[in-house]
Amino acid sequence: MNTPTSLEALIDALRCLPGVGPKSAQRMAYHLLQRDKSGALRLAHTLEQAVGNLRHCAKCNSFSEEEVCSLCSSGKRDDSLLCVVEMPADLLMMEQTQCYRGMYFVLMGRLSPLDGVVARDLPLERLIRRAQEQSCEVILATNFTVEGDATAHYLATLLRAQGIKVSRIARGLPVGGELEHVDSGTLAQAVLERREVRE
Amino acid sequence: MTASKQRVQEQHAFLLHSHPFRETSLIVEIFSREHGRLPIVARGARRPRAALRGVLMSFQPLLLSWFGKGEVKTLHSAEWQGGQPQLQGTALMCGFYLNELLLNLLVRDDPHEALFEYYRLTLHRLAHEDDHAATLRCFEKHLLQELGYALALEREAGSGKPIAPDVIYRYVVERGALPEEAAQEGMPVRGKTLLDMATDDYRDPLTAQQSKQLMRLLLNHHLGGKALHTRELIKDLQKL
Repeated sequence: MNTPTSLEALIDALRCLPGVGPKSAQRMAYHLLQRDKSGALRLAHTLEQAVGNLRHCAKCNSFSEEEVCSLCSSGKRDDSLLCVVEMPADLLMMEQTQCYRGMYFVLMGRLSPLDGVVARDLPLERLIRRAQEQSCEVILATNFTVEGDATAHYLATLLRAQGIKVSRIARGLPVGGELEHVDSGTLAQAVLERREVRE
Repeated sequence: MTASKQRVQEQHAFLLHSHPFRETSLIVEIFSREHGRLPIVARGARRPRAALRGVLMSFQPLLLSWFGKGEVKTLHSAEWQGGQPQLQGTALMCGFYLNELLLNLLVRDDPHEALFEYYRLTLHRLAHEDDHAATLRCFEKHLLQELGYALALEREAGSGKPIAPDVIYRYVVERGALPEEAAQEGMPVRGKTLLDMATDDYRDPLTAQQSKQLMRLLLNHHLGGKALHTRELIKDLQKL
């Protein structure tokens, strides 16, 4: 039996999702068409809307429906601090901590030379302009992976050359962490990056 | 082959690169001492509290065990060996450069024990020394040597005459250094540069400059015209 063309097209389209191969795509397509037609229509509709309406906030570069997102335009944020994160999910996590009241800049990626992502693939000019306009301290909160560290190093060099104050979030043992159960890499780095105990 | 034979226990290895696989897994490309370069799936390594997260880091000496008979193996266990501080700043960029070279030039499942030990030494030097350029040149030379493209640095190609320090030669890819009058093509290079490179001595500024150009020419040839992204990134950084 030949697969009908539109079914084939759907299976093919679903494969654009990360981690979805031909088998998973086929399963998803059958599920949507056979068991959840209204869900399929809702998915099609919301997808179209999201792609049509969402853009990058002019200030923080995160996804936004407006020119400037609600967080950036709230007026209640401390604009002497600018926190750079890799992805919007990182921004949400920072917000959940409720310890940071400054502004954000979302890179929407990281430098990863081995995947072919280099400096020109990130919105670095916008970041510099943003930091200069605000004349603020930039806090680098990229991941503590090798790529995140490389990105932080690149950004620090770039921003310092413009005379901007730069800091990096600290790493070490997790809160409530016991030495007995922490992984050796984290513990070793915590010892290397130890700091003086102040009064 | 029986199942037990496909199990490889506690291999010294470094992680060259990793990318996400499915919802919670990673595919890591490793460089191991006895099995060379190969891809391994680390199941569940991206779960929020996975113990593997802090272990599967590039530039860290690891002890890995894996099994499987296909091209992509499955990780059984990973142990962090320690003793190597995490690379920072420029040293980190140089580390990426080493890994990009290995990913592009090493064939999978082809062991290079001597190169593995030299890679370990190079990472150590990157972490503890400041002259990264010399460290990279030494590594590039050893890499080409291990791959079977050793440089002829002490004798002229063809005639086999010893290289004289104050003569200008032309270095021709896949042949070697020729006297200037004997070759129209090739990169002009001073005899002392070649002799310095033979003894891994890069203190002379002209040696440092010429050896960098020569290595770039040779590596580009073996990379088949493929551009290295880390090279671009390091260049961008130097411009800042």
